[in-house]
Amino acid sequence: MTNEELLALTGAKVVDARGTACPGPLLEAKKAIGTINTGDIMEVMSADEGTKRDIPKWAEKKGHEYLGTVEESGFFRIYLKKG
Amino acid sequence: MTKMVIGLSSCSIDKLTGVGVMLSGAAADDMDVEVFVLVNAARAFLKNNPAEEFMSDTCLTVAEFKSACEKVSTPSWLQFFEMTKEMTNIKINICSLAGKLAGGEKKEDFIDLVDDFCGIGEYLDSAKEADIHISV
Repeated sequence: MTNEELLALTGAKVVDARGTACPGPLLEAKKAIGTINTGDIMEVMSADEGTKRDIPKWAEKKGHEYLGTVEESGFFRIYLKKG
Repeated sequence: MTKMVIGLSSCSIDKLTGVGVMLSGAAADDMDVEVFVLVNAARAFLKNNPAEEFMSDTCLTVAEFKSACEKVSTPSWLQFFEMTKEMTNIKINICSLAGKLAGGEKKEDFIDLVDDFCGIGEYLDSAKEADIHISV
């Protein structure tokens, strides 16, 4: 998906984990995905470089779809679809 | 389900925090985890622990390490343990020798996070069966 398509998505859940370092964003994502339905979109905001790699890999292992990452100034948005 | 076993032999806060980070990864992956608390590490799990906190790595003081953790909103090692235990199946066993060395002979001498006492045979059997075995 392009950045424009990702930014146009409406997340059923938006997790703002910009204040925490690894493994905080991953744990926040893990908690939050349990609160949404299969097929719903979740957006995770993080400023932690390790998270940018961890969350897509975690999503794949757990059966969720990684849709893409959008780089913003000082942080990034990671988009997932719950599987 | 993936099983991880950790042999924890240190009560230094930097190593305990490292184990807390590993537990977080395990919790995210829904792993089954057993932590075997060996030798000095049991001191950290004592109720009303009177021991002074220290670092195993002297590049930072305890205060500097805590300050660095606070700056990036990293929980304390104890918060990591508590949080991850709520998220996945984590069992914390105190080696009976370690318990005695720390001055704790009963489960009640230790904080509520502790599940049970164990012998070295149980640790080795668990390590043999585990998918991941880490010694700290």
